[in-house]
Amino acid sequence: MTGHRKDFPILAKEIYGKRLVYLDNAATSQKPNSVIDTISDFYRSDNSNIHRGVHYLSEVSSERYEKAREKVSSFIGADEPAEVTFTAGTTDSINQVARSLEPVLRGNEVLITGVEHHSNIVPWQLAGARLRAIPMDKDCDLLTDSIEITDRTKLIAISHASNVLGSINPVREVTRIAKEHDIPVLVDAAQSIQHLPIDVKDIGCDFLAFSGHKMYAETGIGVLYTSERFSEIMPARGGGGMVDKVTLEGTTYLKPPLRYEAGTPHIAGAISIGAAIDYMQGIGMDKIRRHEHDVYSYARERLLETDGVTVYGNTGQMCGSISFNLENIHHYDTGLILDKMGIAVRTGHHCAQPLMRTLGIEGTVRASFALYNTKEDADALIDGIGKVRMMHA
Amino acid sequence: MRDTVQEEIIKQFEGLEWLDRYALLISFAKELEPMDAKFRTEKNSISGCQSRVWIISHKEDGRLMFHLDSEAMITRGIMSLLMKVVNNRPPREVVDLDLYFIEEIGLKSNLSPARADGLASIIRRIREVAEGEMN
Repeated sequence: MTGHRKDFPILAKEIYGKRLVYLDNAATSQKPNSVIDTISDFYRSDNSNIHRGVHYLSEVSSERYEKAREKVSSFIGADEPAEVTFTAGTTDSINQVARSLEPVLRGNEVLITGVEHHSNIVPWQLAGARLRAIPMDKDCDLLTDSIEITDRTKLIAISHASNVLGSINPVREVTRIAKEHDIPVLVDAAQSIQHLPIDVKDIGCDFLAFSGHKMYAETGIGVLYTSERFSEIMPARGGGGMVDKVTLEGTTYLKPPLRYEAGTPHIAGAISIGAAIDYMQGIGMDKIRRHEHDVYSYARERLLETDGVTVYGNTGQMCGSISFNLENIHHYDTGLILDKMGIAVRTGHHCAQPLMRTLGIEGTVRASFALYNTKEDADALIDGIGKVRMMHA
Repeated sequence: MRDTVQEEIIKQFEGLEWLDRYALLISFAKELEPMDAKFRTEKNSISGCQSRVWIISHKEDGRLMFHLDSEAMITRGIMSLLMKVVNNRPPREVVDLDLYFIEEIGLKSNLSPARADGLASIIRRIREVAEGEMN
């Protein structure tokens, strides 16, 4: 699977006169021409507000928006499009669930893992829940046998893949255990939706959250899948477009998904997710997974065999991100020097401070991969690391 | 107003490729005397930086002396340049000093807003200390 790099115009750009090696995909992915054209065409030919108008353009826009919802629904294996809500992103999706479930969560407990992004920590704290992490081994592999559910446990909220380590959590096993106790499970798929074929029925989760911009679509748009059994929870946000009858005494709401989409949504963003799904399915998720796995494993092996490099975490099942540090060299220095060689990585705590504390470090260098990355990119990273070490010698 | 210390620094960086500029900063970082671990406290640290930065200062014969340090070498190199420029001046002069060398050696335009913010907080802290010493 080569040649997809040319679908992404930004990748033809030179940075400081060097070929761009973009390895910051866990932060955001680049966009293929088909997605960029879809957004631009929408504004050129179809733009209008949705679900309200009587006129032609409003009908076309509404249709395109709902078509995008259908694409998401079938992409993640939902029963019906009504289970798919468009949000502003993963963070917004998780916050909405936290707000809706707040009456149940307040004073009770949410089980998470030790590798979570702050966006799967802070919303639960804001909802008044206490957090407990499922134990993991020294490689940050989740110990599902040690999951302890108490009377106070009201939800399990776990990432599908770590944004720092790239480790894939055993989400099926976790939902199986949760079901025995009738506890709902939220899966944060921000770092897996672009890498792995995902089927919510197979995973068995009640909520699934992800962002458009990490899967080749726009920023400011995301998805929250809600299983049918939670379809009647209280909406987290109120406003126009989600109500049936409004009086000063009280309001009745529309059925999902519109119930959860107050205000004018990010219409072009939703349509861009549809275009991104078309793009990925045009290649095939299995093919993307195989190619990325090849490049990812190659990069990881090359890092592991490089002197003075520590690579963090190992669960066997990995995707997306690799975190590492160079012996006696600060991650920030590494990132700055790689940047000047045209290699874009991220450095710091990656919004996962509890994990950094567990690892006993301040931060890491993170290289994260997408479908357009190649072994050549991994080689460039290794060469870059050689240069960083030389400059510190 | 042009300033001789800053002029010398600008001359050293003139015409250098990016990696050579970083190499030079790393060499300055290596020459900088490390701050004693007992001063590397939360109180002496500056927030808003991508790498931890510590600052302490004292006055000698009416002149301010800063000691800055960072765990990252390139940041440390920049700290060493800042010390060369601001140290050994009366507080009033430090407050009024235009630190134009940062922009001229390409550090400001190159640093992303978040990183520039880090450097900006360091300069703000230096000025605050100097203002405090004026009273």
